[in-house]
Amino acid sequence: MLEFLTEFPDMSRRDLRDFKLAIDGAFRDFSRANGEAIEGFFDPLLWFLIWLEKLLVATPWPFILIIVAGLAYLGSRSWKLAIGSMLSFALIGYFGMWEDTMSTIALISVATLLCVAIGMPLGIWMAKSDRVQSVITPILDVMQTIPIFVYLLPVLMLLGIGKVPGLIAVCVYAMPPMVRLTNLGIRLVDKDVLEAANAFGANDKQKLFGVQIPLALPNIFAGINQTIMMALAMVVIASMIGVRGLGIPVLQAIQNQYLALGFMNGLAIVGLAIIFDRVSQKYGKRLQEHRGGHDHG
Amino acid sequence: MKKLLISAAIVAGASFGMQGQANAACGEFQMSDMNWPSATLMANVDKIILEEGYGCKIELIPGATTATFATMNEKGEPHVAAELWTNAVSVELEKAMDEGRLHSAVRGPITELGEGWWVTPGTLKRHPEFKTVLDILERPDLFPDKEDPSKGAFIGCPAGWGCQLSNQQLFKAFEMEKKGWVLVDPGSQAGLDASMAKAAQRDENWLGYYWSPTAPVGKYEMALMDFGVPFAGAENWDGCIAVGPEKCADPKPSAWTESVVQTIVTPEIKAMSDVMNYFGNRIYPGPIMNGMLVYMEENQATGPDAALEFLEKHEDIWTKWVSGDVASKVKKSL
Repeated sequence: MLEFLTEFPDMSRRDLRDFKLAIDGAFRDFSRANGEAIEGFFDPLLWFLIWLEKLLVATPWPFILIIVAGLAYLGSRSWKLAIGSMLSFALIGYFGMWEDTMSTIALISVATLLCVAIGMPLGIWMAKSDRVQSVITPILDVMQTIPIFVYLLPVLMLLGIGKVPGLIAVCVYAMPPMVRLTNLGIRLVDKDVLEAANAFGANDKQKLFGVQIPLALPNIFAGINQTIMMALAMVVIASMIGVRGLGIPVLQAIQNQYLALGFMNGLAIVGLAIIFDRVSQKYGKRLQEHRGGHDHG
Repeated sequence: MKKLLISAAIVAGASFGMQGQANAACGEFQMSDMNWPSATLMANVDKIILEEGYGCKIELIPGATTATFATMNEKGEPHVAAELWTNAVSVELEKAMDEGRLHSAVRGPITELGEGWWVTPGTLKRHPEFKTVLDILERPDLFPDKEDPSKGAFIGCPAGWGCQLSNQQLFKAFEMEKKGWVLVDPGSQAGLDASMAKAAQRDENWLGYYWSPTAPVGKYEMALMDFGVPFAGAENWDGCIAVGPEKCADPKPSAWTESVVQTIVTPEIKAMSDVMNYFGNRIYPGPIMNGMLVYMEENQATGPDAALEFLEKHEDIWTKWVSGDVASKVKKSL
């Protein structure tokens, strides 16, 4: 009796083993049967990513510097930020990290696009229905907390190592803020404003695109910003499954205690993060001011 | 009175055993129980056979390569390291052997071990014409890279590992880029394992770096390829291939350097000729060892569990290591 209380009545070791083997076996059969089809499904994404990476690497560096400065200025309308961005890219190139940085930018851009393309509609759907919200919220919790290699293993078994599994790893981790903040932004839109829109006879589509999304933009931009930040944080993890970029030298540095190499590549990731962060934040703020001024004026 | 007689008989028997049998030579000693599966299996098998068959008393001491070697070298304890990869400590080991502080009981306690380039069994079945790495290198089209299918993918060693440099240099030495190959960095051991597992499970062609004895090699029945060229000398390997492309620009093609694995013992053990005999005979065939590693992984078996499994399942192998007398004693104890 006492033994029953002190020893948890767990599954016998043999059953547990059979249970685990059965799951692994079922997954293996699934992967054998459907692996190629699933790989084929993701191929367009892979081609796009490879195309973008090749384009960035092949573009002469002065153009990239000008584009970076131009985008930073367009986003932030701040000369300081534009020149700062250009300078940090120049430094990255000077220290021999240009190609890795281009690969990383390609991955982050595609990941961000993908996260926005999936995350925003999900967030809108969540905002429309409490039931959807109650289902999606725990899924987002799982996505943000589950140890990465737990879900990466089956992904690797299906797709092999390389860019697409890397992209999936990044998006699973980086998409939740996009979904959450879109949902929040739309839910926070003033009820009175919506009532006014109703009074003018706006239909659902007009309300969504004319009122809710524009008013939620600051939150949505905060979501995009968070997504970019978290995607950059995943660069090293993506490199652990064979994605080229700034993560590979970081891994090398960690294995061999190369302090300088680690800091250089780590700081390059930070540099990218700060540029993306400041520019997208400024852009979001500007959008808000512009919107605010317009509404009252 | 009767009791006294019995205990006297026991004492007499015991002391007779002490003098007449292996016990005379074998006392208490320590064996290193190293922290990877094949080494812990070997240590536990040794413990059972030496305790039951030879009457030794053995304590297993956990440890890793460098720490174990250091304490054996400095303090003479533990007395036995069953599976010591001596490439990492070759200079100190040579010195210790010259000075008689350490001895090698057997070189290569597991056959077919070491690093190299492997292919999936399906690759060889479909292409029996592949005899060596050189044959494979002519056919990059059979190993298409996912990101650039016009090239063949060779899966190298994860970023930052010592073998990354050796693989980069061999890639260069065999002129693989010119032959239409790319060197894929799997990024981590998880990446390397997954890449191999995916190819093996789907019966695809795969060429990459790995090492044995390991569970994945056993599980997927990976085949180690002959390089098709001889080992091109220690100077080329240690002075060029192992140091990487930044420090040496002209590596010569070479087979992989031999991984020296030995059972290392202290002088106390060397004095016991029957124990030394046992160690000398105790050679695990590579495929059997890999099979045991698969068993250990699938059952999450500990060293002692796996040792019992080995002694029960592979009697034909271990009974050849010992005399019939010892074998029957060990069998009785199982």
